[in-house]
Amino acid sequence: MSTQPFVIERIYNASAQAVWEAITDNAKMKQWYFDILDFKPIVGFEFTFTGQNEGKTFVHLCTVTEVIEGSKLSHTWRYDGYEGNSEVTWELFPQGDKTRVVLTHTGLETFPPLKDFMKENFDAGWTEILGNLLRNYVEKQAAQ
Amino acid sequence: MHRDIFKAIADPTRREIINLIAHESMNLNAVADKFNMSRPAVSKHIKILTECGLLVIKQQGRERFCKADLRQLKEVTDWAGQYRRFWTKKLDALDAFLIHEQQSTDHTNPKNEE
Repeated sequence: MSTQPFVIERIYNASAQAVWEAITDNAKMKQWYFDILDFKPIVGFEFTFTGQNEGKTFVHLCTVTEVIEGSKLSHTWRYDGYEGNSEVTWELFPQGDKTRVVLTHTGLETFPPLKDFMKENFDAGWTEILGNLLRNYVEKQAAQ
Repeated sequence: MHRDIFKAIADPTRREIINLIAHESMNLNAVADKFNMSRPAVSKHIKILTECGLLVIKQQGRERFCKADLRQLKEVTDWAGQYRRFWTKKLDALDAFLIHEQQSTDHTNPKNEE
């Protein structure tokens, strides 16, 4: 399994403060992220939420691990009942009146990749293989 | 010869074999018993899967067990794709939230009005 962290970047047309509030103010988080019972950006704070991942429901267990007010938030992320633990880090970089957001999700390789909760992905992989890759392959062969 | 993985999985019987042994190794005879075809026919499919590295056979005492080695499939399925889809959706939602929030602020704040 790859141990490369998963990284995704976006630039938002909003101030770093607005983005920070969106990712740390529970009332705002509820509007776009997850319905978390209680959340505080304080190291050691534990929170839990139920998330859907590709059609299946998982209880997420998280602990805040790092907070730099206005610019960085890290928390662990694991699934109740499954082995493995990962960490999600949000980093905010002001760019003029915009904000660059870098989201890093490390430790995904610690999750059992082919047990139940990855099965969805496995099936999706087959869909991809059969739906696109295979068709492309077959059509490429046919064209030769 | 390293067989083409796409050809290997193009066949429904071979996909069925992979699904059977994706989660646990199985005795070769037990695999063959699952299919309504001759042992040699199943063996031929297993040979093709072995040649492209999707299936690994291990001798354990007098029995032979096979297990799927899905690292080969990873080339084309990249399981991190699940998280990519997930976070892409969430970051899109964050964008929509921020735009909406900005618009409501503009609306209630007279100094931003034309």
